Amino acid sequence: MEGRPHEPAPRERELALRAQGGDARAYEELVRPHQEIAFRVAYVITRNAADAEDATQEGLVKAWRALKRFRTGEPMRPWLLRIVANEARNRRRSTRRREQLVLRAAESSGEAAPSPEDAALRAAERARLLDALDRLPEPAREVLTCRFLLDLSEEETAAALDVRRGTVKSRTARALDRLKESYEPRG
Amino acid sequence: MNLEAELRAIDVEWPQTPQLELVLEPSRRRDRRPLVVAIVLAVAALAAALAVPQSRGAILRIFHLGGATVKVVDTLPRADARPLTAGLGPVISLDSARRLLPGLLVPPLDTVPPLHYGSGNVVSVVFERDGHPVLLSELPGGGGVYLKKLASGGSRIEPVRVQGDEGLWISGGRHVVYFPYRSPRLAGNVLLWETGSTTYRLEGPHLTRDEAVSLAESLRRG
Repeated sequence: MEGRPHEPAPRERELALRAQGGDARAYEELVRPHQEIAFRVAYVITRNAADAEDATQEGLVKAWRALKRFRTGEPMRPWLLRIVANEARNRRRSTRRREQLVLRAAESSGEAAPSPEDAALRAAERARLLDALDRLPEPAREVLTCRFLLDLSEEETAAALDVRRGTVKSRTARALDRLKESYEPRG
Repeated sequence: MNLEAELRAIDVEWPQTPQLELVLEPSRRRDRRPLVVAIVLAVAALAAALAVPQSRGAILRIFHLGGATVKVVDTLPRADARPLTAGLGPVISLDSARRLLPGLLVPPLDTVPPLHYGSGNVVSVVFERDGHPVLLSELPGGGGVYLKKLASGGSRIEPVRVQGDEGLWISGGRHVVYFPYRSPRLAGNVLLWETGSTTYRLEGPHLTRDEAVSLAESLRRG
């Protein structure tokens, strides 16, 4: 499902124009709403919070410097994610670290459970699902995390992973098949 | 079993989004004067960040001194050992340096003429002291975050006074210095102090604290 609008909001467009004119404050306001998702995408790629922070910081500074190349009719988020994710990949390549992705399910997922036992069971299943996700090969893990845990659109996922949109579709389908094979819910 | 729905339903505990510091230079089209504008993005308070387990592991303490920020982290980011002059910008003449920063501090004369570098409105000078290189950077405009340094838990950070002005002496373990738009590098012992609205940074791998303070107090405006 692609519910995200492809047209930037008028306010975003105005801020982008001002930022392109050299207004640093406008740029600050423009990127602030995207900072969290940019950091999380970087975290998924680097698997390390410190590297993700550096990648996000460096990426946002690079985006500022490259702002004149941004087309103001386009949404800002995929463009930013592409730059930050690229920084994250550079860091991952150079550090060669392989750390566990320490994604954990929150204790309360915001939905009502019929009983404490049911809630505990559900939490355990989700922890197992995250574990199965983490054991997938990197391209599969990344595409599923971007699409379903970060709720990125196909366009944004393609930008973050630096692949075509069609590749996102096919890779998602294959990754779901692999995840299904390795994850069997209990009960 | 609908795996898409199962995945979407997971409320992931993401690491706390950090407070980011962006050092931005205004567009040249708008203002041709070299000027660095520091913007601190996000309003997450440090106290809140430190209260979150995931970020407590990343940032242990934080210090601000004028234009400099020192973060103490448990894991140093990747950085290479590079020459003192790396990332300082192009070599500029003394006259250009003075135009960029009126009231520039002048290092003591030695056998090797000092070299000045300019990047944004940060002016740096590299000179020799007892046969060893020393780097002095001047960062005008108080309050902004012009560079970020990260010290591992093994580094010592001590408050010092330079002619009555507040300063910090960072020594011991390795730390990483970030200059705007440049790759980070590993740094040696550093003295930071603030006079008026200008932040000064003096780095010399062979300097002791007392030598650094003495050297800083010997610098005159020229």
